[in-house]
Amino acid sequence: MAAPLRFNVMHFMPYSYLPENHKEFKSTWVSFPNKYFDPEKGHELYNRYIGELVLADQLGYDAVVVNEHHNTVYSMMATPNIIASSLVAQTKNVRICVWGTPPNFMLPNRLAEEYAVLDVMSKGRIEVAFPLGTGMEYWSNPVNPATAREKFRESLKIILQAWSEDGPTTHYGNHYTYRFLNPWPRPYQRPHPPCYIVGTGSPETIEIAAELGFGYASVFVTQARAKELNEQLRERASHYGHTIRPDQLPLLTFVYVAETQEQAEKEYIPHLQRFFEDYARTIPQYLAPPGYLSVDQLKLRAATADKMHGGFDFKAISQSFFISVGTPDKVANDIGDWTVRMKTNHINSVMHVADMPHWKTVKNLTLFAEQVMPRLRQQAGAPQRMAAE
Amino acid sequence: MSKFERQTLTVDGVKTVVHTAGHGEPLVFFHGAGTVDGFDFAERWTDRFRVIAPYHPGFGESGDDPTFTTMHDYVMHYLELFDMLKLDRFNLVGLSMGGYLAAKFASEHGHRVKKLTLIAPAGLIDPKNPMLDILAVPGEAVPGLLVSDFEVLKKKLPEKPDLDFMGERYREATTVARLFWEHPGDPKFMRYLHRIRVPTQIIWGEEDKIIPAGQAETWRRFIPNADIKVYKGAGHLVHLERPEAVDAVARFMS
Repeated sequence: MAAPLRFNVMHFMPYSYLPENHKEFKSTWVSFPNKYFDPEKGHELYNRYIGELVLADQLGYDAVVVNEHHNTVYSMMATPNIIASSLVAQTKNVRICVWGTPPNFMLPNRLAEEYAVLDVMSKGRIEVAFPLGTGMEYWSNPVNPATAREKFRESLKIILQAWSEDGPTTHYGNHYTYRFLNPWPRPYQRPHPPCYIVGTGSPETIEIAAELGFGYASVFVTQARAKELNEQLRERASHYGHTIRPDQLPLLTFVYVAETQEQAEKEYIPHLQRFFEDYARTIPQYLAPPGYLSVDQLKLRAATADKMHGGFDFKAISQSFFISVGTPDKVANDIGDWTVRMKTNHINSVMHVADMPHWKTVKNLTLFAEQVMPRLRQQAGAPQRMAAE
Repeated sequence: MSKFERQTLTVDGVKTVVHTAGHGEPLVFFHGAGTVDGFDFAERWTDRFRVIAPYHPGFGESGDDPTFTTMHDYVMHYLELFDMLKLDRFNLVGLSMGGYLAAKFASEHGHRVKKLTLIAPAGLIDPKNPMLDILAVPGEAVPGLLVSDFEVLKKKLPEKPDLDFMGERYREATTVARLFWEHPGDPKFMRYLHRIRVPTQIIWGEEDKIIPAGQAETWRRFIPNADIKVYKGAGHLVHLERPEAVDAVARFMS
């Protein structure tokens, strides 16, 4: 019998009022002038977006997911734990995933404390993913990208030690010294909330997840690459004596459900196009600050970027990534196939993109919850489904 | 065909490539934070000096050592290398970041240095003449900032940067980031500069877009007797643009 499916709603909470002249800027990250942020509109958006995640709780989703980015219209969640705190207060059942704050941008004890506070407040509903942080974040935060990976490792060690061992303990490392590592409170979940690493597939990061027995959430990689990464994680984790469960491999999907295929495409594609072209717009320099990648990874990614050059092509992009747009049947079929192919039962869906209006988001959330989730849960109940491959 | 002979050594575990040419007193050249300019310009010194041009760890043909995170690591590396090469006392020339390193070496180990030349040296925190934060400049914009006349540099660059060229520049930028990302300037460096007591020459291109030539006068505060030469019509890579600047180094060192 296959494990039950799990459905997350992931929100980027973008600042969706791009100025008319925004195309003049090569990047909407890092250097995009913050004079274009209007707090009045920001106020409206925060309330609206948090409301959408509260609705997800009421509609029966299993989890809501927030994340952290800086200096960008792509996401207004510079401080995701503050958003999570609001969600703790306004939701009843959903698990709240902070996927997450890059440990390099916060003192490790402080991050362990914040997650523990949320976990205790929510009675154990918190899940955590640790990102190294995109290249862009290293232009926006005063942290050296060339030593980021070793600092990341050390931070994780401190956080896990703070959560798992009775304090006070000590830590003497290259980046941090703790004479009394003894954070109050401790997390509600013992020894700690479920942990993942989230990233774009650097071998160095996969290795950390494998070593720690964490889940790995790959984001913005192609379908083929995501499958490779899942396999790599399973293989490397077994090397360290860990068995990766299907729920440790959250699958990032972009979905939009409507009454007909035509209507779904008409309602969704313009927003998806703006997501890729405008909200995710950045430059190679920002993507890869010096030392953020190994030289081999840089060359590999530069070669791939060259191949992917060209305008937005919905068909190509939806075959490349896990994007499903259409009727409840179509979306359920796509996701059903993906879960089998990717050997996961954990579906992490982005249901709002770019400047999608509230009504479409509510419609999407509702149709997916009422018509897609039951279909998939019913299918997953049939044991031959997971064994089919 | 280059006059330089190439020698590969292992210095404290790090592959270190040293180019050597010429006869006479030893003259060590420290390159800057990039290596596209090469060592050919230094052939003008080889009739009077034995020129020793090493690649720093993390640059050019030398290997990487990710534990090098401060300029002090490079000073220690060179103490080791100079011992291996049996170089007791020598003339020292440093360009840009190599000038920073040469000045640091001379302030700490002055008895090893006979004469010192700093070409557009980095290292000063000079709010009135601030150095360009080169780490914040997109890679493709860097070559244009290095020289006054781009034709001089153009022949040293590939027509269209390929992946290997990009990779090599990224590697060197990574080395620079390890040293300077969080702290582009080190106040302690200036704190001890007055200990440079050997004859010192400072050379600058007047149109330097990376480190303003105005910094030459700031150096004079630390090294009052420095012989300062500023060349018109030259940028940061004054040694490529003005052969007479290269000749001035040889004259000063002789």
